[in-house]
Parts: sequence; structure tokens; C-alpha cells
Amino acid sequence: MKVIKLHEGRSHEWLVFGRDEERPSKIIDTNQYMIKTTNHAIMLDPGGIELFSAMLAAVVHHVPVQQITHLFASHQDPDIISSLGLWDKTLPHAELHAPWLWEGFLRHFGCNSIRYNPLPDEGKSLRLDDIELQFIPAHYMHSSGNFSVYDPQAKILMSGDIGAALLPDGAPMFVEDFDAHVDKMRLFHQRWMPSNRAKKDWVRRVRQLDIEYMAPQHGAIFKGRDVQRFLDWLDELEVGTGIK
Amino acid sequence: MQFRSKNSAHFFINAATVAADLSVVLTEAKNISLEAMNAKALVARAGDNVRTFKPITDFMVELANDTIWLVKEINREALVLSRTSLAELHSSDANLRFAKAQQKASTAPYVETLDPIAKMAYNQHHQQSVQLRRHMRKLFELLDEIESRMLAANVVTATSRLEAATAADSYQASLEGIVVKLEKAANRIKHIATKCRHSLER
Ligand SMILES: [Fe+2]
Ligand SMILES: [Fe+2]
Repeated sequence: MKVIKLHEGRSHEWLVFGRDEERPSKIIDTNQYMIKTTNHAIMLDPGGIELFSAMLAAVVHHVPVQQITHLFASHQDPDIISSLGLWDKTLPHAELHAPWLWEGFLRHFGCNSIRYNPLPDEGKSLRLDDIELQFIPAHYMHSSGNFSVYDPQAKILMSGDIGAALLPDGAPMFVEDFDAHVDKMRLFHQRWMPSNRAKKDWVRRVRQLDIEYMAPQHGAIFKGRDVQRFLDWLDELEVGTGIK
Repeated sequence: MQFRSKNSAHFFINAATVAADLSVVLTEAKNISLEAMNAKALVARAGDNVRTFKPITDFMVELANDTIWLVKEINREALVLSRTSLAELHSSDANLRFAKAQQKASTAPYVETLDPIAKMAYNQHHQQSVQLRRHMRKLFELLDEIESRMLAANVVTATSRLEAATAADSYQASLEGIVVKLEKAANRIKHIATKCRHSLER
């Protein structure tokens, strides 16, 4: 599992875990994120069950496992959170922040000890030591109950499936050539994103944020000017193409 | 009886299948019960002509009741076993995944923070395995019991045949009919019990 430090500040750091070499080939590649503060850590979209051992092993290179007190699931998909049953054994005192809409569904993965903290549709924020994370509504992008995470201090937006790209194994962690990258994103957004109205709403919300890095759950991370270029591109893109 | 963990993946399916197979046994046991009623009526009607047949009908009633009870027990135990083996499978999977994480993180600075969790997963798996073996033993005991009941039934059918042969002519055919039905039902039950045993031993 590759680990990259996305941000290192006085009060906290962002780590991205991905490009696991041992991932079975038919499983979609995912990026997992961890924000580590003085006394806490939160994992954002901690990943599927098949990745669990590699994730847990990678995590303890950076924090004692008991320091992870929070989990976040942007939505209910298996590549996001099917590892929940095992995290439940690992971190029985942790809290899971996930859309209220999916509580009854996510509990099928096993959530006996972890406390499920349902996120209301309008979103909310979470204080972790010196930082405040914002859960930004991203409903129907692609899941009907869905959130992005924004960290105003680090200026990072974890965008879940939005900005995802289907890349070959071993691809770089950052977008290097935006125009070339568009080809790797188009199908994903057209087919997985169902609603142009939802897309416009999310773009409008996100345009108000000051973003240095936009970090999706699949593919490569956008930085600087590419974030705006992505928003412009998505704004124009026709989505929901499954229905002809 | 032997339990091998490599089979546990299929085991919960087999245990569920056993429960399904047993429904046939229940039908057969109910048939025995019905035949026993017929036999009782016949014995009452025939009076002294078939007096020696009376204990046999009593046995048939007892056999049918015992079998019905045993099948219900086996059914319950098979479902518990299916659930237990699934829990064992999950705990085994979790145990392996924690052990793998520990091994992969052997050089990590906080690897020892995984120790209590890995240990807990190991213990849980161990407990589940013990449970699984316990329930399995119970189920085999019940299957043993049903098989030995059917062996007893075979002995009784042999005696009944002799009794039927010595009965008055007008009752012979009816008595033999009852004996044949009892024998058939007992053999089918035994066959299914053996099949269940084999599918669990597989
Ligand atoms: Fe998804
Ligand atoms: Fe995804």
C-alpha cells in the first residue's frame, strides 16, 4: 500500500493510502484517507473488506490504532465501507459518520460496537482537536445520500466518487496532465452520476470553498488550478447517460 | 466424526441441507404413526386372533412419537449448527485478516497496538470452533439415536412377520401390509439419517 502525506500542518496531517500492489485485479482501486490530529484520527472512506489487512497494516505505521476515534463513509458502497465489520472489532469505541439515509443498510456490514452518527441531509461539522471538518452535501453524486469532506485549514476537499478516474495500475497519485486525465473520468461521471441538477448543486456549493487539493476516492488527486478546471469540466458534462 | 476447518466454508450449507432432508423423515414418521393407528384398530377388531400383535402396535406408536421428537430436535440442532458454522467462518476470516495485518506491519512503529485486537480475534475464533464442535457432536448423537431406533424397528419387523404368519388367515394380509409399511418407513428414515451423517462428515 502506497502512503503519501498530502498535508502536514501544525495541528494535523492528511495521509492518502492507495495503489495497493496486492489488490486482487478485479477489485476497483481505491484511495483511503486519514486525518491525524494531536489526539485523534479519522479515516475517510476506509475501503472494502478485501483491503482491510493492508489498510490496517499501513495505518499503524502512522498512528497507534486506538488513536483512530472516527470513521467517515461518504456513502454506502462496498468499496467505501464493506470493511466496517472488521473496523467494528478493531475500534469498538469509534464513531462512524455516515449519511442518515444509509444507516439501516450500512449496518448489514456489521456495526455492533461502533456508534453510528447519522449525518443529516444538510450536512454538519465535526471538531477534532484544533480542526473543524465540514461534511458537505453531495447527494445523488452518485449515491442518493452522499457527502464530501472539507477541511478549511488544509484547504482539502475529499470528494468521494466525484472526480474519480479509472486508471491503470501504478498510475501517479496526482493529476499531471488534466486534458489527458479527462478521458479517464468521462465514462465514470456520465454513467455513475445520475442527475444534472444534483451535479450543478454540488458544483455551486464547492465553488464557494477555497480548495488547494481535491481528493477523490478513485484515481488521482487534483491540485491548484486543476481543481477549478475539474469543476468547469463537470459543470458542462452531461451526466445520467445510462438512459438513452 | 471429524471437523476440518477447510470445509467450514461449505459446512453451513450442508447443515442447512440436513434440516431440509429431515422434512422427509418427518413425513415417514407420521406415516408410521398412521400405520400404528391402523394396526391398533385391527388388533381391537380381531381380538384374541392377533393378541400377540398388540405389543408390536404399541412399539410402532412409541417409535413414531420418538422419531417425530428426534427429527424436531435434529432439525433445531441442524439450524443452530448452520448458524454456528457461519459465525465460525466469519471469526476465522477476521482472525486471518488481523493476523495478516500484523504480519504485514511487522516493522511499523505502532504494530504492537494491534496485539490486543489480534488476540481477541484469535480467542473469538477459538471459542467459535469449540462451539461448532460441541453442536456438531450433539447433532451426530441425535443422528446415532435415530439410526439405532431404526435398527430396533428392523428387529421388530422380523418378529412381526413371524407373528403375522401365525395369525388367523383373514388377518394375515392386513398384518403383513402393516409390517411392510413399517419396514419401508424405517429403512427410508435410516437411509436419510445416514445420508445426513455423510453430508456432515464430508
Ligand atoms: Fe460509490
Ligand atoms: Fe467508489
